[in-house]
Amino acid sequence: MTFNPSPTLDNPTHLWLEIPEAELERSWQHQPFSTPNRRWVAYLNRLSLSAFLPWLHQEHGTNAKPYPKDAALPSIWEAVNGTAISFGNTKMVLIPTEALDIDEFRVPQEWVDIPDWVADYYIAVQVNLEEQCIRIWGYTTHAQLKSTASYDAFDKAYCLDGEDLISNLSILWLSQQLCPDVITRGEVAPLPELPLAQAQNLIQRLGNPNVIIPRTQVPFTIWGALLQHGGWRQRLYEQRQGLQQQWSVAQWLQNGVSDFALLFGWATVDTQAFAGARGSNVVETLPTILRRLTIASQQCELRVLPQGNITSRIWRFELRALPGELLAPGIKLRLLTEDRKPFEGNEVEVRNNSESIYLEVALGEPPEGLVWEIEPTPDNFELEILYL
Amino acid sequence: MRVRQSLIELFSTFLELDASRVIGWATDARLRRNMVNSLSALSQPEQSEDFWVHYWYKLWQNAPESLGKGHLSAYLQEVCYWAARKTVTGITSTQYTVSDCFQMGILRVDKVLKGYKPNMGFSLKNYSSAVFSSELKEMLRQQNEIDICTNWRLLKKLTQKRLIESLQHAGQSADVIERYVLAWKCYQELYAPQQPSGTRRLQKPSEATWQSIAQLYNQLRHTQLTTPGAESNPETIEKWLSSCAKAVRAYLYPNMTSLNVKTGDSDAGELQDILPQLKQESYMSEIIAAEEQLDRQSQQAQIGDVLVKAIKELDDEAQKIIQIYYTQGLTQQQIAKELGVKQYTVSRRLTKARDTLLLKLATWSQESMHISLNPSVLNYINTLLEEWLQAHYSRNSLELEQSQ
Repeated sequence: MTFNPSPTLDNPTHLWLEIPEAELERSWQHQPFSTPNRRWVAYLNRLSLSAFLPWLHQEHGTNAKPYPKDAALPSIWEAVNGTAISFGNTKMVLIPTEALDIDEFRVPQEWVDIPDWVADYYIAVQVNLEEQCIRIWGYTTHAQLKSTASYDAFDKAYCLDGEDLISNLSILWLSQQLCPDVITRGEVAPLPELPLAQAQNLIQRLGNPNVIIPRTQVPFTIWGALLQHGGWRQRLYEQRQGLQQQWSVAQWLQNGVSDFALLFGWATVDTQAFAGARGSNVVETLPTILRRLTIASQQCELRVLPQGNITSRIWRFELRALPGELLAPGIKLRLLTEDRKPFEGNEVEVRNNSESIYLEVALGEPPEGLVWEIEPTPDNFELEILYL
Repeated sequence: MRVRQSLIELFSTFLELDASRVIGWATDARLRRNMVNSLSALSQPEQSEDFWVHYWYKLWQNAPESLGKGHLSAYLQEVCYWAARKTVTGITSTQYTVSDCFQMGILRVDKVLKGYKPNMGFSLKNYSSAVFSSELKEMLRQQNEIDICTNWRLLKKLTQKRLIESLQHAGQSADVIERYVLAWKCYQELYAPQQPSGTRRLQKPSEATWQSIAQLYNQLRHTQLTTPGAESNPETIEKWLSSCAKAVRAYLYPNMTSLNVKTGDSDAGELQDILPQLKQESYMSEIIAAEEQLDRQSQQAQIGDVLVKAIKELDDEAQKIIQIYYTQGLTQQQIAKELGVKQYTVSRRLTKARDTLLLKLATWSQESMHISLNPSVLNYINTLLEEWLQAHYSRNSLELEQSQ
């Protein structure tokens, strides 16, 4: 898997990794993007992941995964270059480019100044598609970017000269051993909460694929706040692809879960069994929408179902342990408006010995977006908006 | 090559090369005069090479535009020459002569000086040798790649920094550079290969793509340029981008005549002559006492001892792999074949062996030289470890050859 293309010209300090042959084709066949360049950026990121993750796993025994989760990557790549991965308490961002020279390292501001996206390490990846390899030629830390990098206002990027990077990736682990006091993360200011109307407005405006570089069209704090919200970022992505509403639960009930929602883990299950149990007949055979979750190592299901008739606009959110298991006391299920505002009766907590907890909400017209949260936070969680 | 004898020569003469061999040493009069003056300004004659390296280095640190850089550039001529020789001999398929490589390498003196850490107990020569070698390899790699891709592909394979430097090197004005860079950014955003294979032959964008690039440029010029300038059209943008590609290629193939002029620093003369005088006295007294220099020399020897011992303590497998890698110039695939193991096993063992040595050297530096470790210091030690390993094993294999 490690790779050494040209014996006498390689730099043995850098890490050379082969891109798996199958990935060259497979990574190309992915989701749509608004421009050929966004598609290309996504391709380079995917290839970098496919070469780097197995190495990380093998050499450092980490169970590293893309952050926040695999399904969220296209919406990130539509907006910005780079891929975050996390393992244990450590986060890294791979910044791939095709530049042949290693004179400069540019980290898009999103990875440095969006609080949820801040990482410990930023890894410079040179992708050489023609030689089917990637080269890790250096890394830096968030603290160093914040304290010494220059800021390019046009690109909204933090820039370091190539020689300011640590060129041997092994030092990342060696320094944890030799100088454990090194601080990797600097300070970042929180981003503002965007009001719903403003967010919708932005999604409408920046969702136009003719806006070529949306990230430079609005002040960074506003753009950052929009991206940090997983649900809004996903909508922005879909809008830029000209896709219709993908997150309407009512539509899922009629036509099945959308392709995107499938990727995020949603599925429909036939509720014939429940219906039968209630003794009603065929009219009631709406499927149940559900999603598997892992909360503190326990597998659970989140179900969304209309109460009674779908036109009654009353929805039930139910968190349920797997058959034969109980939910751990203290788990909380919470519903919020799309812009994360609480409302009355929006939270329920597991007391004891229950297989499930649920919330019911009555909604008006037109359909509204809701987000759900659970405490403790499920694995790979990011905000999702469901339209009900 | 004649070895330079006197201190004055060492810090004021430059190698003269034709395509493949050394012709001799050329004296830079200004540097010579400065060296003579500085020598005589001392009450006690100071004949140690190290003293003068540190002296000029300090001067350069305090006044980067001073003659310090010229003196050190003169001093590093042989190191760069040997790095160039080693690099060129290592490659079978190159059109570059030793002289080409030497010229490219010596341009990197700034980088050497910027990265050098005098208190770490390694000589400037060792450190610069490591930097020259890795820089040369890097440049040759880039040239190999650039030679076989189209302009349109090349433009996708650049950092902005490299583009700007290339355009500056080509003598473009700040205004023009700003416009070209903006056009290049628009190109980046709107053009990319449409399939993952055959990308080196990436062709010119279509008419429609040029249109959108020009359109984006015209939008952005109002906010992104110091002066928005005239509206641009697809033809102009295409022309500009061709010029960018041309500048980038030219930047990697230095023009020898212009370089030779630059080496002696003779063009920026007058200011430099006045500047350094002022602080000389204080440097003299402040600069490292003779005892400290002795310390440094013995540290170099100790570092060698530490590493030789550390290598002996590696397990047999690790020793073997590190020896094969550094003496035989084989690829990791070839080594894998020779040892009958998988290639990633080779890479893994090699990395592990090197990490062990780095760990030991770093720990030793911390304990005996009271250097406080951080990632940047470890990175520096790593550079020197690499250089030491290469020198150590090539010396060993030379001795082996001679004894046979």
